Amino acid sequence: MGFDLAFALSSVPTILGAVGTTLCVALVSCIGAAAIGFFFEMVRRAGGIAGLTVGFVIDFIRSTPVLAWLYFLYFVLPFYGIRLGSMTVGVMGLSLYYSGYLAEVFKAGIDAIPKGQSEAARALSLSRRDAVIHVIAPQMLRNIAAPLGNYFVSILKATPYLAVLAVPEMLGRAFDIASETYRYTEPLVVAGLIFLALALVISHGVKRLERRLLAVGAR
Amino acid sequence: MSAQSDTIVDIQGLNKWFGALHVLKDVDLTVACGSRVVVCGPSGSGKSTLIRCINGLESYQQGALRLAGTTLGLNARETASARRQTGMVFQSFNLFPHLTVLSNCTLALRRVAGRSRGEAQDIAMAHLEKVRIPEKAMSYPGQLSGGQQQRVAIARALCLNPRIMLFDEPTSALDPEMIKEVLDVMVALARDGMTMVCVTHEMGFAREVADQVVFMDGGCILDRAPARDFFGSAGHPRSRLFLDTILKH
Amino acid sequence: MSLFDIWLGILQGLGTTAAVTAYGLVFAVPFALVFGIAQYLTQGVARLLVTGVIEFWRSSAVIILLFIFYYALPVVGITLSAMTVSAMVLGLNAGGYASQAVRAGLQALPPGQREAGAALGLSRPAILLLIELPQALVAMSPTFVNTLIQLVKATALVSLVTLTDMTFRAKEIAQVEYNPVAIYTALLLAFFVVCYPIALAGRWLEARVAAPGSRSRGI
Ligand SMILES: Nc1ncnc2c1ncn2[C@@H]1O[C@H](COP(=O)(O)OP(=O)(O)OP(=O)(O)O)[C@@H](O)[C@H]1O
Ligand SMILES: [Mg+2]
Repeated sequence: MGFDLAFALSSVPTILGAVGTTLCVALVSCIGAAAIGFFFEMVRRAGGIAGLTVGFVIDFIRSTPVLAWLYFLYFVLPFYGIRLGSMTVGVMGLSLYYSGYLAEVFKAGIDAIPKGQSEAARALSLSRRDAVIHVIAPQMLRNIAAPLGNYFVSILKATPYLAVLAVPEMLGRAFDIASETYRYTEPLVVAGLIFLALALVISHGVKRLERRLLAVGAR
Repeated sequence: MSAQSDTIVDIQGLNKWFGALHVLKDVDLTVACGSRVVVCGPSGSGKSTLIRCINGLESYQQGALRLAGTTLGLNARETASARRQTGMVFQSFNLFPHLTVLSNCTLALRRVAGRSRGEAQDIAMAHLEKVRIPEKAMSYPGQLSGGQQQRVAIARALCLNPRIMLFDEPTSALDPEMIKEVLDVMVALARDGMTMVCVTHEMGFAREVADQVVFMDGGCILDRAPARDFFGSAGHPRSRLFLDTILKH
Repeated sequence: MSLFDIWLGILQGLGTTAAVTAYGLVFAVPFALVFGIAQYLTQGVARLLVTGVIEFWRSSAVIILLFIFYYALPVVGITLSAMTVSAMVLGLNAGGYASQAVRAGLQALPPGQREAGAALGLSRPAILLLIELPQALVAMSPTFVNTLIQLVKATALVSLVTLTDMTFRAKEIAQVEYNPVAIYTALLLAFFVVCYPIALAGRWLEARVAAPGSRSRGI
């Protein structure tokens, strides 16, 4: 048998047709994860019972596999009568799972701002709100840009997990071809290579961005 | 009443703890308008804490601290408006790295003093000229040397037109060749009649501009004297010892 | 079945989860050391090749790699057990991540260390073994712990290639018992009790390692 290059090439258009879905799912999940993660980090920072609880939730999420979260949402939500499309459930799962990681990104991004920055803002009589908007937030955004980009790549590479929920992303398409033709190797290799190429290209972009930010941020 | 109006800082029996650590012990200090006070003392003696109390960056537990007639810590709004009378310069500059030199200077003018962009820029440029660095207005702090950054920090603090300037070891993070350019700016400021409280170990500077030198150790003010006397033979044995060590190297 | 019974049922898969993890480490640790050091020492074409291998394992979507090796190896005449394929793919993926920690740890050492070793007349391998590696590995140990947690969590994937790990057990139980809430909660908890202690150990390690002046920026 071996590897049939012609067949592999013929499967490229079908699989590549799902690249839009894959990127979309990854982007929406990344935004969702960032939103939840930012909220988590703000609550954790505020401290108190709520802060401790959220801190524990973050640890819990980080101690459990994404696949388990996908199953959990996929089977538990309908049990409570909540019926959502598998794509929605998949995006929710990825958002929730990665929020635990992005909370840490936000934490590191804020902690990396020297204490002197907010002190200088206070010494200049800036209000708390102005200090956050003009001094803290811009520096935080710069600190998190690169790690956020890296997590986008991670999320992208996790989108094939959604194939288990029958979301028509690239791995799902590859399996469709495989089950029609009984040939698994070629479509899977094609899907794998496309993911690898996407991951490498985006990672490279992130690295360049990081270098530029470091150049501007030299203190 | 008149005694009050020419006193800008009036500290009586100030005590401060960090948890169980007693860092300021019954500190009394008055700073008259137009006078220059230099604070020195060994590391950990509470110099930074004292100067940070003066503009309310640190709170205190006992005693009274009046700044420009307002007792700090009683009322948040009054404390905030009293703080507006101060400018502060930190050891580590603390410029905002994501803003240009000019924006560093205009930020508070625009957000706190409510100046228009044009006004703010004019004021900021005037102060940057005063610290002799107007050509760097469009640079970012990361592109400047330490001495240049500290001069920008001084200009930034001057922009809100403070009645008193607080300096916390402004030259101790600088390479020796840059210390002079910063001290020159500070001397010029003193000549202009600015009220200053300055934590520093630059004894040449203290000799030149200080009206009063305060020596702290272990959270207490052990010695205070007019600069002439402080550097003369009189004074507390502990401060003589300290002077001997720092003047030796 | 009560939540507890379900939990016990899921824990029957713990043996497989642990076996894949341990077997995976057999691949991960040597790969991380060999390729991390090789990337540190090599230049030019050699370095490009080393980086290529690392990036293949690290930047691919691990779920697709698993399927590719599971379906494709028999096609080219190599039959390995599902256990071996899983351990290899998950292990080398984790090893790819860990290799970057090894390389970064070595690069982060001040050059004075190597120079001091050379000044003492030590050979290059001796410098690496006696001076550089011990320091780098200590500094990087928290990252290794994180990689271990990622590996444990990634083993949930083996349920997709018929191994009866905890995730597979959960799905088996779900076929005889309609109680998704209990089953998938129990699954999450099962992973939590395995991974959380490792995470706590890692945190303890990090606090100890970070103490003497090492500026770990995390990312
Ligand atoms: N935020 C803080 N929390 C707890 N302790 C503090 C804090 N800031 C300062 N301290 C302690 O208070 C004491 C006085 O500190 P301070 O910074 O005022 O000393 P200093 O005279 O400025 O010393 P240096 O010359 O090193 O700057 C020190 O023992 C210091 O460890
Ligand atoms: Mg100090």
